[in-house]
Amino acid sequence: MTVEAPPDAATEAPPRRRRVTSLEVLCVLLLVALVAQGWITSVLDAPALRTGATIFVAVCVQALPFLVFGVLVSGAIAAFVSADALRRVLPRRPALAVPVAGVAGVALPNCECAAVPVARRLMQREVPASVALTFLLAAPAVNPIVLVATAVAFPGEPMMVLARFAGSMATALVMGWLWARFGRGEWFASRVTRRVPPPAGGHSRWAMFAETARQDLVDAGGFLVVGGLAAAVLNVAVPRSWLDTLGDQVVLGIVVMAVLAVLLALCSEADAFVAASLSALPLLPRLVFLVVGPAIDVKLFVLQAGTLGRRFALRFAPLTFVVAVGCAVGAGVVFL
Amino acid sequence: MRRETQNVLLVLLGGALLKISFTGAYLRYVKPAHQWLLIAGGVVMLVLAAVSIVRDVTARRHVEHPDHEHSTRSAWLLVLPVLAVFLVAPPALGSDSVERAGDAAPRAAASAEDDGSALFPALPPGEVLPLTLSEFVERAAWDSADSLDGRRIRLTGFVVHEGDKTHVARFAISCCAADAYPIKVLLDGADLTDRPDDSWIRAVVELVPGSPTKANGYVPTVTVHSVQPIPQPEDPYEH
Repeated sequence: MTVEAPPDAATEAPPRRRRVTSLEVLCVLLLVALVAQGWITSVLDAPALRTGATIFVAVCVQALPFLVFGVLVSGAIAAFVSADALRRVLPRRPALAVPVAGVAGVALPNCECAAVPVARRLMQREVPASVALTFLLAAPAVNPIVLVATAVAFPGEPMMVLARFAGSMATALVMGWLWARFGRGEWFASRVTRRVPPPAGGHSRWAMFAETARQDLVDAGGFLVVGGLAAAVLNVAVPRSWLDTLGDQVVLGIVVMAVLAVLLALCSEADAFVAASLSALPLLPRLVFLVVGPAIDVKLFVLQAGTLGRRFALRFAPLTFVVAVGCAVGAGVVFL
Repeated sequence: MRRETQNVLLVLLGGALLKISFTGAYLRYVKPAHQWLLIAGGVVMLVLAAVSIVRDVTARRHVEHPDHEHSTRSAWLLVLPVLAVFLVAPPALGSDSVERAGDAAPRAAASAEDDGSALFPALPPGEVLPLTLSEFVERAAWDSADSLDGRRIRLTGFVVHEGDKTHVARFAISCCAADAYPIKVLLDGADLTDRPDDSWIRAVVELVPGSPTKANGYVPTVTVHSVQPIPQPEDPYEH
């Protein structure tokens, strides 16, 4: 391998004739891992590490197919949907377009990790950020699959489904409107806002579809792995048994469940079953858990920071957390 | 990171997904219904990588790739799941997670009436009846018709020693192992000191009526008639 280093390797040492390429690094890494396999396995033999490793792989394996679906949608938008077409569909004023995005979220069953690349691609197609962000929050939280799972998990509590729908939808709409009013484009990473015109010819469209999907997958996949690691550590470190000691303290319960939703980073189709199993708590804190989880969690935060920009995520994620808790409590007071 | 390296990583990752979905190892991490999702995801990854490799090879001189000049250092992390699947192959959740979870109320508690009772369909006749641990625990705690009393039930799970107590336990998952929920039954009158934690057994047991209480987290106690060691089932979880 005597190929020259790529132009984006700006962080490396000043140019020499022969540089180590990432492909060689990868080969060495894989070789070392193979040789040290026995050692790695024995290190991971401690019970807590073994449990963490299982949960890490489980989170990755569970989320990767959904991420693949998301990058295919994202690639299709990049290659086949023009900014004009989207402009015709969406109302001109963001204040009106935000509810349309919320409804679109109901129709498109999507896991939260899949929604991030799609939202980024929508913004590149000149969709207002507020509208794309509403879609980002609505798609994983209010789609039919999630609502049915909630109904199954809470068989005696039909209002739980309605409350979850209302709380999540309100979160998405409020965040969209807040962003339309106060959001600033410069918070996004520059690659998000750069307008990329769709290619003209039929063949190059397919090529662009494949290349966009591949690139999104490589980017977002890495961040998903960070999220999986965080979820695994916290899953092992947070003992669920102390939840039972919270009992009937509603306010404390709401705070703890909201934080837990962020830390555990569960998939939005499964969190209802976890919430149902925490039967020592009243319904309201568990509703907060269901509304906050799909809107913001550690894995989603890392994914947003990597895909949409760190400055954006540092503002968007805490605000989402506060708005989601507020909307969940509101929905709970009305419906439960 | 170079495009070639990214493609190699995608091939490895897609291969990892396909490997676990064909060997059945995926059942340690996700529910059975995810198998076709994993296969589809793995195939798409391989196709995307293959398309990119073929295009790079056929169009060597065509070097401008305007859309990805940004740093993709995060892509290195894709090595971790690849190594985890191929080299470590983490086992299914076991006794460590059961002990971590402590005593939690069974899932049916969420759906039961205020007094905790609920009516279950009658059990089929038979001398020894196989039941999942989840159904056994739910019936033991909440069945107002006491359908388990006096019945011999065959349970399948792994051994967990907690102090001087011995449980048979199994996890229920609704999506992936991150949301796994332990279900356990306290074994009475069985000498299982020779069976280490996480070894799988099939036990014929009888419920001690009234043993699941709020105080013990609705963990039922059973008297053991016989214990038979078995290999770990292909699907280690209940659903």
